[in-house]
Amino acid sequence: MSNSTHVARRVSVLGPGLAVLCVLLALIAFLSVTLGSRSIGLPEVLRALGSMDTDGSINSTVTLELRVPRTLLGILVGAALGVAGAILQGVTRNPLADAGIMGINSGAAVFVVFAITVLGVRGAAVYVWFAFAGAIAALVLVYAIASLGREGATPIKLALAGAAVTAGLVSVTTGIVMTNVDALNELRFWQVGSLAGRYAPILTGVAPFLILGLIASLGFGRALNGLALGEDVARGLGQQVTRTRAAAFAVVAVLAGAATAACGPIVFVGLVVPHLARIICGPDYRWILPYSMLLAPIVLLLADVLGRVVAAPDELQVGVVLGVLGAPAFVGIVRYGRLSEV
Amino acid sequence: MAATASTAPQAATAGAFRTTRRRRAARLLAVTCSLAVAVSALFVLTMMVGSFQLSAEEVIASVLYLRDDPSVDFVVRGLRLPTAASALAVGLALGAAGTIFQQLLRNPLASPDFVGINTGAGLAAVTGIVLLQAGGLAVSALALGGAVVAALLMYVLAWRDGVAGYRFILIGIGVALFFDGLIGYMLTKAQLSDARQAMHWLTGSVGQAEAGELRLLLGALILLLPTAVLLQRQLRALELGDDTARALGTRTELSRGGLLATAVVLTALAVAVAGPIIFVALIAGPIANRLLGPATGGIIPAALVGATLLLTADLVAVHLLPTPLPTGVVTGAVGAPYLLWLLATTNRQGAGG
Amino acid sequence: MTRLRAEGLTLGYDDEAIVTNLDVDVLDGKITAIVGANACGKSTLLRGLARLLKPRHGVVSLDGKALTEMSTHEVAKTLGLLPQTPLAPDGITVADLVARGRYPHQGWFRRWTERDDDAVARALDATGTADLVNRPLRQLSGGQRQRVWVAMAIAQDTDLLLLDEPTTYLDINHQVELLRLLRKLNTESGKTIVAVLHDLNLACRFSDHVIAMAEGAIVAEGAPTDVITAELVEKVFGLACVVVPDPVAGTPMVVPT
Repeated sequence: MSNSTHVARRVSVLGPGLAVLCVLLALIAFLSVTLGSRSIGLPEVLRALGSMDTDGSINSTVTLELRVPRTLLGILVGAALGVAGAILQGVTRNPLADAGIMGINSGAAVFVVFAITVLGVRGAAVYVWFAFAGAIAALVLVYAIASLGREGATPIKLALAGAAVTAGLVSVTTGIVMTNVDALNELRFWQVGSLAGRYAPILTGVAPFLILGLIASLGFGRALNGLALGEDVARGLGQQVTRTRAAAFAVVAVLAGAATAACGPIVFVGLVVPHLARIICGPDYRWILPYSMLLAPIVLLLADVLGRVVAAPDELQVGVVLGVLGAPAFVGIVRYGRLSEV
Repeated sequence: MAATASTAPQAATAGAFRTTRRRRAARLLAVTCSLAVAVSALFVLTMMVGSFQLSAEEVIASVLYLRDDPSVDFVVRGLRLPTAASALAVGLALGAAGTIFQQLLRNPLASPDFVGINTGAGLAAVTGIVLLQAGGLAVSALALGGAVVAALLMYVLAWRDGVAGYRFILIGIGVALFFDGLIGYMLTKAQLSDARQAMHWLTGSVGQAEAGELRLLLGALILLLPTAVLLQRQLRALELGDDTARALGTRTELSRGGLLATAVVLTALAVAVAGPIIFVALIAGPIANRLLGPATGGIIPAALVGATLLLTADLVAVHLLPTPLPTGVVTGAVGAPYLLWLLATTNRQGAGG
Repeated sequence: MTRLRAEGLTLGYDDEAIVTNLDVDVLDGKITAIVGANACGKSTLLRGLARLLKPRHGVVSLDGKALTEMSTHEVAKTLGLLPQTPLAPDGITVADLVARGRYPHQGWFRRWTERDDDAVARALDATGTADLVNRPLRQLSGGQRQRVWVAMAIAQDTDLLLLDEPTTYLDINHQVELLRLLRKLNTESGKTIVAVLHDLNLACRFSDHVIAMAEGAIVAEGAPTDVITAELVEKVFGLACVVVPDPVAGTPMVVPT
């Protein structure tokens, strides 16, 4: 098979695949708006969606002020985490790299705990900004340390610096939490990661960052393909390796930082979805990025809807559902699928 | 390629190479000995400090049964030796296991913390604490079982005509996330007091060691550390990839199986003794490598670094902080800055990786 | 007399058979080049000959004994292989890497000896990498790196040496140097060498024996002058060409039309 027919076949299969994923995402978004612990009839949902205004009834309020923002947030956060994970795996050339091990979650957690214990503030709406700042601070720290020295931020130094910063920050968080029951109680719920209780104000707060980051991220496909071949080859192809890495990290900081700030650490999406995308697309980041961007919100919303339906009238945190149902599915795919390495 | 095969330049090359090799061997020996001295000193120091201060001489005499002084013996052998011994043993085990995993899977992040073994232990223990109100020995036994089951599960799932490192890592991610999801569920459903106890266990502490488990771990170390040293040669071949390793005459699956089993047993016992203390396994190997020179990959030095980390962390956690905390809280804070410092400095000289 | 031979060899991955029912005799003390288009089974055959792939059918035998029945350690003292894309741990130095080639000559308790030092020194000298011993592999150029890998294979000190595309990543000068090195090893220490090569002209120039493969089968084999013809190149590579004598060595030279 010659190279050009190979590419042509890729486009002819993977292109429509993206359209299929869009349809799937729309479907699941619709489910997410209609299904929930409170059963609301389809006509009512449609009426509320059509008028885009609450008519004062509880049902339309639930739909428009709770479910719609939650669904939109799920889409944005899912897409952000998926893309951020794919970029990080590409930059570090490490299948274990995700926002969590690069310090994002631990940085966010430290700042949240700091807000609770030292400043005495409470509530998801406030945590968002502390978490966002913490996530970005941690990632900047990781990148700065890995950049020291002549060779700059090589994949292995990034991985080790990320792991070490995470180690240090987790120590601090656990230390505080262990001596402060109040903080533990708040943190244990924040730490599972959930879309619940994150409504309109949070959505409008983080949405601009997420949207900008997502748009910027799509430009990285070619650069990541270059980096995947190793620094030397990338340089040979005329890439500014250091600048690419720094830019990629900046985008990841915004995407994963805002996503984690909004929903807490949802590890699964960023770690697993890029691998799924890679199994489907092969090692081409120009496809992996858009596939991650669509697959991730599908997986996240699906888990969220399941969490609401399975345990109704209670609900299961999306992090729990992803781990319990998503992980075995992932293991199955890895076991029987064809792998192409990072 | 201008060199001819005449004997004079070859003798010179052999001499130069021998010098290089001897320098490396000397460095290995020096680092290993210094680490061993540091570990011994910390081991004795941990038993000296506390509300009842002792001299180094008293501690050593008591541990080695050289003198009979009931009050000193009670403090040393009865109270402090179990904690110190478990810090030592757990540190050695985690350091060795971590570096084996990282080299075998050719990934600096692939320590047992990240590929599902600790989470398996964690889930079993947390389930015991939250659902069965278990404590002490029962939790340790559950953790041991959980770790072994998780490791077997990963091995079986990753096996397809042999265990490829990459697939093993991905399966490890999946297994770890599965257990993590369940642990998260357990924690949110638990009473706050149970959640607290569970969190405490999940943080890990050398102070909670059970005598039986500890004895088992010490026995395993005496058996498995020499095994690991013998398998080091195979490990160094496997690092070059399966094709090269087989071409060099390694029985790859057998060697990998043996190394994995060694690392898993060490990890599982360490977790059973002290809970899933994180980051020791992750950072001991890289720190040892930076002390030894890149890609040396000594298992014993890594084990000694692990023990140093954990003994230091225990000292800090129990004696330097205003309120005593579980050891696991401090390991990251003790080890991370050091690794970061090494990362920043060794690379200035262009020597690190 | 051939020490390494394959009879009725079928090899493959998962469900696919890549090469089927091959008979190969590797000529002792000669340099054999395996040539063919991409994905024709060259590397698979080499991996089969080096016991990295278990035969589906057929036997690969070394000195009359089936490889599958010999201990891999014993085989490694006689038969060395350099894979196409070998892996190296991050930061490894040249000295450390080349020394790892001595693996089969050590045992559970047998330590490093002067003989190992000498073997490593010979390999370093032969490949011109003696000045690089203290450098990390990663900092070397592609050509230097490839020579270091060859040095590791030479340090293994085997009578038979199999190399999978040893000249990839090398510029023309380094390609020629590497092949000259192989020739030198062959004439000076009588090593039997089998290499998968991409460049037909260089293969003709530096080998005694050529095996041309297409779609998992051997299309032709023999001395380069006998085997490499315009018809064969057309058949194996689908390239229209004329074959003229190399102006320097007189070996066949392929010129596309």
